[in-house]
Amino acid sequence: MEISTTTQNGVTVTSFSGSLDGGTVSDAQDKIMPLISSKISMVLDLKECKYVSSAGLRLLLLAAKQLSTQGGVLVLSGLSDEVKDVMEMTGFSNFFKMFDCVASAVEALAKEG
Amino acid sequence: MFRVDLHPTHVSDCGKFRLRVGKPLPFGASIVPGGVNFSVYSRSATSCKLALFNKHEPKPFSVITFKDEFRIGNVFTMVVFDLDYENLEYGFYMEGPFDAREGHRFDKTRVLMDPYAKAIGGRDVWGKQPDWNDMYQHRARIIFDDFDWENDHPLETPVEDLIFYETHVRGFTQNPSSGVKHPGTFSGIREKIPYLKELGINCIELMPIHEFDEFENSRISPTTGKTLYNYWGYSNVGFFAPKAGFAATGKFGMQVDECKTLIRELHKNGIEVILDVVFNHTAEGNERGPYISYRGIDNKTYYLLTPEGYYFNFSGCGNTLNCNNPIVRNMILDCLRYWAADYHVDGFRFDLASILGRDQNGAPMHSPPLLETLAFDPILGKCKLIAEAWDAGGLYQVGCFPAWGRWAEWNGKYRDDLRRFLKGEPNMLGAMAQRLQGSPDLYQMAGRGATASINFVTAHDGFTLYDMVAYNGKHNEANGENNGDGSNDNYSWNCGWEGESTDPQVNRLRIKQMKNAVAMLLVSQGTPMLLAGDEMANTQWGNNNAYCQDNEISWIDWSLLDKNKELFNFFKNMIAFRRAHPVLRNRGHFQNRDYMGSGFADITWHGQKAWNVDWSEESRCLAFMLCGMHAKGGTVDDNSVYVAMNMHWEMHGFEMPQLPDYMEWAVFANTDAAPPHDIWVPGKEVGLASQKEFLVGPRSVVILVGRDKKKKSRKES
Repeated sequence: MEISTTTQNGVTVTSFSGSLDGGTVSDAQDKIMPLISSKISMVLDLKECKYVSSAGLRLLLLAAKQLSTQGGVLVLSGLSDEVKDVMEMTGFSNFFKMFDCVASAVEALAKEG
Repeated sequence: MFRVDLHPTHVSDCGKFRLRVGKPLPFGASIVPGGVNFSVYSRSATSCKLALFNKHEPKPFSVITFKDEFRIGNVFTMVVFDLDYENLEYGFYMEGPFDAREGHRFDKTRVLMDPYAKAIGGRDVWGKQPDWNDMYQHRARIIFDDFDWENDHPLETPVEDLIFYETHVRGFTQNPSSGVKHPGTFSGIREKIPYLKELGINCIELMPIHEFDEFENSRISPTTGKTLYNYWGYSNVGFFAPKAGFAATGKFGMQVDECKTLIRELHKNGIEVILDVVFNHTAEGNERGPYISYRGIDNKTYYLLTPEGYYFNFSGCGNTLNCNNPIVRNMILDCLRYWAADYHVDGFRFDLASILGRDQNGAPMHSPPLLETLAFDPILGKCKLIAEAWDAGGLYQVGCFPAWGRWAEWNGKYRDDLRRFLKGEPNMLGAMAQRLQGSPDLYQMAGRGATASINFVTAHDGFTLYDMVAYNGKHNEANGENNGDGSNDNYSWNCGWEGESTDPQVNRLRIKQMKNAVAMLLVSQGTPMLLAGDEMANTQWGNNNAYCQDNEISWIDWSLLDKNKELFNFFKNMIAFRRAHPVLRNRGHFQNRDYMGSGFADITWHGQKAWNVDWSEESRCLAFMLCGMHAKGGTVDDNSVYVAMNMHWEMHGFEMPQLPDYMEWAVFANTDAAPPHDIWVPGKEVGLASQKEFLVGPRSVVILVGRDKKKKSRKES
């Protein structure tokens, strides 16, 4: 599991690669949560993420809710069809805006300002 | 916040795990800060070990003994720290006596599932062959119990306003004709919510969704050569876990979230969820059955045993759960509370519920503590409690199930009487009059209202509606039991030909008989239940006991919807009619008097002559009028409703009761008429030229609304 963060157009873009599951979620949480400290717009890019488990989805939701309470917004990009499908069936998709790629996510967030 | 008890106090014998004494309650595995709290009851075990597995792996990666100081009373409990519980499966080894005569069957070599397991692996994908060499077939897992319900709340619809729709999670959408993306799953049902809304039902009753083993008693049908499964699932492996194989995400271990999402989305659409729960036996069978959990954890506590130590079989399934043992009673209560609180379900239908009223020797009790506990439980306080008021041991309690004003019953007498009336049997008017009124003959003396009666003509157990009018006898050969299984008392009539027919007259009559049945069901007091698929004339080709048929016999054939649009339209409008007219949905029984000063009693009986019923043996004509001013005990105003039922094979004129001058009769339904004149959209009924008499065709039902000439009739309740 690797996590990298950049800033594009004023939007924080955090990319995961590897698997986001029970074995890696604690590490991922330690890295993401400190980023959520102010009113920021954030894209979590999962294009290189092979697998997102139940624990992984919970981390995404936790991050989104945490950011939302601080007046920020978190969106997802690059999800595989299978992950999208699982999120739809298990109710997680209700809480996220999803984009095909980082560029369109950044564009949308930058517009919202 | 730091807590002293977050710190381990012990180390496991292998030195790998840090431990401390756990909390005995709640039972099961609970996530606590830094670890997992395990707690399991056994009165007679002398020692207990916790086996920890990585998911799907045949051998445990660690076995941890509950130290002596980790036993509190008869409960073994400890916290294990630093576990990756998402990838974990766990079980118990229990050591104790093996003495069948004393009721003990401990076997320290078996890995036993936690009776309180919230998710269970091992059958993650329906029908996928498991590894039969695996020592641990049904594997307890730990769940995240943090589902986001988004302000969802059980709907608490008054029971008399519900229209139940019974279905099987897999059978509802498994047939490719369903057109859903994830056939046979919770998600598949969710995709059909728009359909359920169009039909108009507001309560879905799911056949068992607790984890069961579809491979239990699996075999090849000698007749068809197909594999037979435990398809219905009336045989619990675990009571707290949803069936993984019913979730498209079961392979990812996310069945809990998928099931909860379905319930949340149904609620958003005004549809309640009732679970069919099976507390009368488990999947462990008799003394020759497998060790899954209960037998090896505390056989004597969980099962009703004969003095010789064999299993009583009041369930017809090998064993009987010892429901009125205080430990088991508490487990059942914990289970129902869990499904009510954590899954937001709206109520429960109890399979073979009479067993829940037997004492520890198997004798029926006068005031069974379990049933009383459930009736008064605060967490279940708004849940519907519905009993299948009989068991396989010969106890039949329809009308006398211990109710405490809370329990409703599947009214088997309703089903039988309506079917007999429908097929034209003589001497049925008296019984039918009772059924149409919510069976006061069964419930009124005990102070129970019409809401005690769940009325139905068909259910999963027995013929579908179409088969009821297409078969005189059952055709269960595919079950491989020489057609010896299934009920012989079907009160069905094939309309002149056994099975599929090309005769248009036979087929017309069948459609009409189905319309007659649903029309009478939906104008009866009490709560109606429909069987999914009946609205499109779904067939099981005469199989009235399809418990083992995981194939086209049981799966609803959605292509019939196109073929039988007429029937679907009739169902839809009958449902809308019931929902539009509170006069059909009283809580209490009729008083047979005019307490509103309308000039009519709440219910009045008629025949070919108004105010005059021929109750004689050969009479098959019955009509009744419900006065709209008496709707819901006179608390709301409604149109009046008149229903004429002619189950004779000849046409008869029915004289209607005369309405006051400002009112008129308009026709809502006439099952003898071809579409579109068989039924109208509620509120759009057609006024009648003759307000005196209506010619009711052979074997037909006519429904009229008595409305104010100026206001026309009601559209919505």
